[in-house]
Amino acid sequence: MQVTSAVPLARDIDRRARADARHDRIFHRVLKFCALLVLATLLGAALSTLWGGREVLFGHGLHFLTSDSWNPVEDDYGALAPIFGTLVTSLIALVIAVPISFGVAIFLTEIAPTWMRGPVSAAIELLAGIPSIIYGMWGLFVFVPFMANIEPALSDTLGNLPLIGKLFQGPPLGLGLLTAGIVLAVMILPFISSVMREVFQTVPTRLKESSYALGSTTWEVLWDIVLPYTRSAVIGGIFLGLGRALGETMAVTFVLGNSYNITASLLMPGTSISSSIANEFNEAVGVHRSALIALGFLLFVVTFVVLLIARLMLHQLAKREGK
Amino acid sequence: MSNAGIYLRRRLVNVIALLFGGFATVLGLIFLVWILWVTISNGLSAIHPRLFTKITAYADQGGLANAIVGSLLMDMMALLICAPIGVLAGTYLAEYANRSKLGASIRFLNDILLSAPSIVMGLFVYVIIVLPMSNLTHGNISFSGFAGAVALALIGLPVIVRTTDEMLQLVPGTLREAALSLGVPQWKLTVQVLIRAASSGILTGVLLALARLAGETAPLLFTAFGNNFMTVHPLDKMASLPVAIYQYTNDPSPAMHSIAWAGALLITLFVLALSLLTRLLFSRKKVSYE
Amino acid sequence: MNDLAAAVAAPLASVDGRTKIKVRDVHFYYNGFHALKGVSMDIPEKQVTAIIGPSGCGKSTLLRIFNRIYAIYPKLEAKGSIELDGENILDPGYSMNRLRSKVGMVFQKPVPFPMTIFENVAYGIRHHEKLSKSDMESRVEQALRSSALWDEVKDKLKQNALGLSGGQQQRLCIARAIALKPEVLLLDEPTSALDPIATSRIEQLVEELKSEFTIVIVTHNMQQAARVSDYTAFMYIGELIEFGNTEKIFTKPDKKQTEDYITGRFG
Repeated sequence: MQVTSAVPLARDIDRRARADARHDRIFHRVLKFCALLVLATLLGAALSTLWGGREVLFGHGLHFLTSDSWNPVEDDYGALAPIFGTLVTSLIALVIAVPISFGVAIFLTEIAPTWMRGPVSAAIELLAGIPSIIYGMWGLFVFVPFMANIEPALSDTLGNLPLIGKLFQGPPLGLGLLTAGIVLAVMILPFISSVMREVFQTVPTRLKESSYALGSTTWEVLWDIVLPYTRSAVIGGIFLGLGRALGETMAVTFVLGNSYNITASLLMPGTSISSSIANEFNEAVGVHRSALIALGFLLFVVTFVVLLIARLMLHQLAKREGK
Repeated sequence: MSNAGIYLRRRLVNVIALLFGGFATVLGLIFLVWILWVTISNGLSAIHPRLFTKITAYADQGGLANAIVGSLLMDMMALLICAPIGVLAGTYLAEYANRSKLGASIRFLNDILLSAPSIVMGLFVYVIIVLPMSNLTHGNISFSGFAGAVALALIGLPVIVRTTDEMLQLVPGTLREAALSLGVPQWKLTVQVLIRAASSGILTGVLLALARLAGETAPLLFTAFGNNFMTVHPLDKMASLPVAIYQYTNDPSPAMHSIAWAGALLITLFVLALSLLTRLLFSRKKVSYE
Repeated sequence: MNDLAAAVAAPLASVDGRTKIKVRDVHFYYNGFHALKGVSMDIPEKQVTAIIGPSGCGKSTLLRIFNRIYAIYPKLEAKGSIELDGENILDPGYSMNRLRSKVGMVFQKPVPFPMTIFENVAYGIRHHEKLSKSDMESRVEQALRSSALWDEVKDKLKQNALGLSGGQQQRLCIARAIALKPEVLLLDEPTSALDPIATSRIEQLVEELKSEFTIVIVTHNMQQAARVSDYTAFMYIGELIEFGNTEKIFTKPDKKQTEDYITGRFG
């Protein structure tokens, strides 16, 4: 039936099998090495910034974390002001972006007619594709003047309220923590809303239908059924947005005002970890540079923890879905 | 409260909530249009042939030629670094470690790397490449286009790892069995059949990574630094569009701002065109294996 | 168990001609689940043997042991012996390459590789033999002719195989398998994803191919088994209930369970 030359000898087959096994092993190792590079990147980023900032982190110890003075002339560095700015701007961003993202997500899953959902969600996600430097320019040249115009009105109204009034008193510079927080909110909005939209769609129809069958309104189904069902993933999405906001550099650097202040007023200029690094790194030498790298280490650790929580929360829903 | 009162209140709450949803979406769209409009109108009025022929050394009489060349060069170098590594790492996750603990943890940490602050990647590369190079060459080589490309590659890497992983998981398992039943070894099956079957999806990932890293500024500040002159040497300080825009925006002169807007328009168009292209590619990909 | 003893005894008596695959007391486990419980049968050379039974009975599992394709997944384990021409293929020393070149397989859904039609057929050959360009071309042509596809694709060999119809893709997969000149051809529900016309072409092809190959076909379609096979094995919950001449199995089976299944009383 077969031509003799077409039948490989048993010896050849064995040799080929051994060669295959060897190549498979090499291939496997190369792949594994590449995958381990992902781990190496994370670990390397942490260790290299720890090493680069050792002078300040270990030399100045707790002083670095608790002092609010930042004085390159005296080589006295405290990270409190940048940490404060980072936290406050990110918090403002969340306060604004979370409800709006929720609104966008309910619009896209419950309200909008089907033909509209694709294009509108694509448009919202386009916001995530715009480079952050563009946010920074738009923030500085367009949004800061805009804010300078409305800040007097804010001071006159919100500024007179008890308790939170102090937050809105100050010179109408346009620059400052509030402006940076709003720019960040626009930036992280597409991240949070797309997570929310995706997880809302995973809610089983029978769950929603049985609630509608009891006469619930759309809002009641959302609030009583959809949100509790997707709670962990929604929190995960919010933390994902928070992680983005904490680490963002270019969008806030121009609009923060770069001043080492810790003030009660959100209208005052401030600084953040990332914008301090971006602004000063290339002029810094010696201890100053070490202090900036130490700031980078802090930023990395904080965002790592936030993103870790985000992924764990997102993972929970995925697990229940059996993915 | 009467029953009618309860119904009225519930309906009112519902209407308010739904109105809020619409309002939030409109608000999001307003910001999108606002930002794009500002970029396009300012950018278009600043577009001039000089941008593409003159270098940044001429300041407001100059252009962005060296920054454009530098960006293209570093983006390409970054892709050359992160695309092969990312595709191989993603292949490892999907094909070799899909059910293993190591695979699961790498996949998990890769997702974290995906949103890690890009400025820290810049510091990382500064410490592991720029500083040692400077020490080795007694300061002759410090900041370099190569270091910039490595920093950008770290931004693109997790994007490629993730899409490759996801795309390979979409390839039907029977394709693996069919190739193995022919006696083809695993590595050949992976390279010649699976990666090829997922190629348009993997290409999508590479383009997404390019779109992501092309707009990055922060990782370049202390790696490639910037350069007012034209250079294509990877060990020179190298200009890039985002860094040039950053510097021009910080400049007090309106003429410089106008060049910055032109650069901003170029980058935005590039990035948005890429994301459109990936959408097209991906919708085509969906049809090939059901 | 009485059934088991009967199942072991039955096939040994019922096969004429030379035995190609001798299955002895094969057990199969996945994740601890006992999926095959001591299957024994003799598969005759150059005949078509069909394996039928309700879904989940282990018929595909049995087929997938014949070329050890199950071994690519973790936590799967086969025990017992399967002798191909007198050598036990479950022996870890039996070369996988040798096994795969002797036993070809076609799957439920047509799965052409993402390559041209020509490359699909040439791909497997290339791994086992070094052929000149013209030898390769004639080998591919021969395989495509044997699978009754040549006339339909001879003018578009350089086109992507994903452009073919489902039935054509499945015949391409058969061509791909027989291009390696295997001795055994395993067909795992090869027509379940095809329309009736494409199905009848494949059945016709099976009829033609049995002069050259020992064919084992798993099917859930009893009429198909009756039409194409010379011998039929009926399996139920991991056990081989009855094995014998197809005509006999379908007209006067020995076992009540077989009769119930054939007459459509369950399954």
